[in-house]
Amino acid sequence: MRTICIGCVRISQNNLELGVPPFANPSENLARFNKDENGREIKIKFDHGTTTLGFMYQGGVVLAVDSRATGGQFIGSQTMKKIVEINDFLLGTLAGGAADCVYWDRVLAKQCRMYELRNRERISVAAASKLMANMVYNYKGMGLSMGMMLAGWDKRGPQLYYVDSEGTRTPGKVFSVGSGSIYAFGVLDSGYKWDLKDEEAYDLGRRSIYHATHRDAYSGGIVRVYHMTANGWKHIDNNDCNDLHYKFQEEKEDLGKYNTIISYLCALF
Amino acid sequence: MSTERYSFSLTTFSPSGKLVQIEYALAAVAAGAPSVGIKASNGVVIATENKHKSILYDEHSVHKVEMITKHIGMIYSGMGPDYRLLVKQARKMAQQYYLVYQEPIPTVQLVQRVAAVMQEYTQSGGVRPFGVSLLICGWDNDRPYLFQCDPSGRISLGRQPPWARITLTGRRFWKRDLELDDAVHTAILTLKKVLRGK
Amino acid sequence: MVAMKGENCVSIAADRRFGIQAQTIATDFQKIFQMGPHLYVGLPGLATDTQTVMEKLRFRKNLYELKENRMMSPKVFSAMLSNMLYEKRFGPFFVEPVVAGLDPKTHEPFICNMDLIGCINLPNDFVVGGTASAQLYGMCEALWEPNLGPDDLFETTSQALLNAFDRDAISGWGATVYIIEKDKVTIRNLKTRMD
Repeated sequence: MRTICIGCVRISQNNLELGVPPFANPSENLARFNKDENGREIKIKFDHGTTTLGFMYQGGVVLAVDSRATGGQFIGSQTMKKIVEINDFLLGTLAGGAADCVYWDRVLAKQCRMYELRNRERISVAAASKLMANMVYNYKGMGLSMGMMLAGWDKRGPQLYYVDSEGTRTPGKVFSVGSGSIYAFGVLDSGYKWDLKDEEAYDLGRRSIYHATHRDAYSGGIVRVYHMTANGWKHIDNNDCNDLHYKFQEEKEDLGKYNTIISYLCALF
Repeated sequence: MSTERYSFSLTTFSPSGKLVQIEYALAAVAAGAPSVGIKASNGVVIATENKHKSILYDEHSVHKVEMITKHIGMIYSGMGPDYRLLVKQARKMAQQYYLVYQEPIPTVQLVQRVAAVMQEYTQSGGVRPFGVSLLICGWDNDRPYLFQCDPSGRISLGRQPPWARITLTGRRFWKRDLELDDAVHTAILTLKKVLRGK
Repeated sequence: MVAMKGENCVSIAADRRFGIQAQTIATDFQKIFQMGPHLYVGLPGLATDTQTVMEKLRFRKNLYELKENRMMSPKVFSAMLSNMLYEKRFGPFFVEPVVAGLDPKTHEPFICNMDLIGCINLPNDFVVGGTASAQLYGMCEALWEPNLGPDDLFETTSQALLNAFDRDAISGWGATVYIIEKDKVTIRNLKTRMD
């Protein structure tokens, strides 16, 4: 651990040098710059809209995410990669400020590799998530915005953690993060069970993200599905939301026809 | 107003179904100077007598033919002060129309709105009907228009070409195929004839 | 929302989303309204004001047509709308109207748009309004050309609209395009991305 000094501020860091504001107690004093002379907010608008989800089931962990990046209501990208492959046994999802997520995931990847080199074994997901939580905690209150899931497979089996820039770090079975998470949870919770088969799990993840992209303006683009197994992560597939929409609509129509026939037959007998 | 003594309308039906106040108003019109309007095939003429009580009046100070907009004009028979109020209202209504629609008011519309004001004065409390009959001429849709407007609020429209309609306040007659030049001539002749008859 | 002039025809088109900020409530919302055989008005903005303004406009237009016994031309309609919006100068309706139509007599193409308090803009190529307006300006500037026939006008309008949506988070979810010609009006619903 090294302590660096920038301006008058001492912040304990892990081999990192980030320019922090040159005045005392930045987490409190920085907030004063977020208001203009009339007390109006002048915060920088970061990319906030996203839908990501992850859940554990008998076959491991499934992660599914959208791919839209927005700045305000402007769509900056429809092909963003919101799942970061930290190493073969560790995946991270991004939600919140795009730059924050990408940068800290990169730092985390470096730290995890350092751990491997030093200790001749892969880092546990618990340790990796704690590294992440501690790093961002140093900047709490200074405007970092991120909500991420870490999925991995270590000695203790499949793991799923949620970490955010407020300092939360918690293990769990089912998570969804981002502006579209409320919609994703709706689908995910109603279809989730531990005994899901692999294909069913992928489909559940896909459908949850798709429905979120349909309702949430700030989510969309491509649905990416990853599967964490005992042999490391597997990229399952990418599907354009547009194709999914018309596919699901067709299914709904077919189901409608099927139900009409069934009720007709029931009425007959 | 409503607490005042004459806040109710003075225009009331007589047992025979007439509104005598309006008949009196028409009498005031008949007592005034005659005016004539002639619609020809390519234009419309309005004319009235420009006589005044004394030689001491400057004849340029008498304004009987008034412009409402670039394409609408008006004259009257009857009481001058009443006429001026209607001219003021008509100009206001024409400008209001232009403000809202960015288009000159059609003559028909102006006439209907002026007539509505005149009608209102036959039914409102605290007022009396106008002592004037108006001749309103205008030009739109590439043709001339001529209207007469009575104290009751009644409107009558001049017949379309090829008939020329001559409206002398109170009397109307038609001629076939009249050009503008002839119409001016006829107008002057008609006025002369009427005045000589007096 | 976009409207374009063509050769003896005009187009007007808009998306079909109704949402509250990020949340999409409905994908069959109408924001273009017929005000005459060749007269259409688009009212993008606050949904409640879209409907109120449309009803007030219909009221005033019907009254005009009864009083004057003639059709209202797009030019007069726009002047009337502009005045109606300015009546609420200090508490405006949150709509950015777009008017498109053909003159009932001369069948001359007409388009215009205005801000929420009625400042009219009368260009002779295209007008835009609503959320994706920056993107639409870019698309129209690139795609529009003079004297487009009805079919080309449909293609140009649709492409401009669809590609503008793809860079705007809060518009899309279906689109309707109207092509207004002298003797027919064609209405087409476009298949779009639904995210």
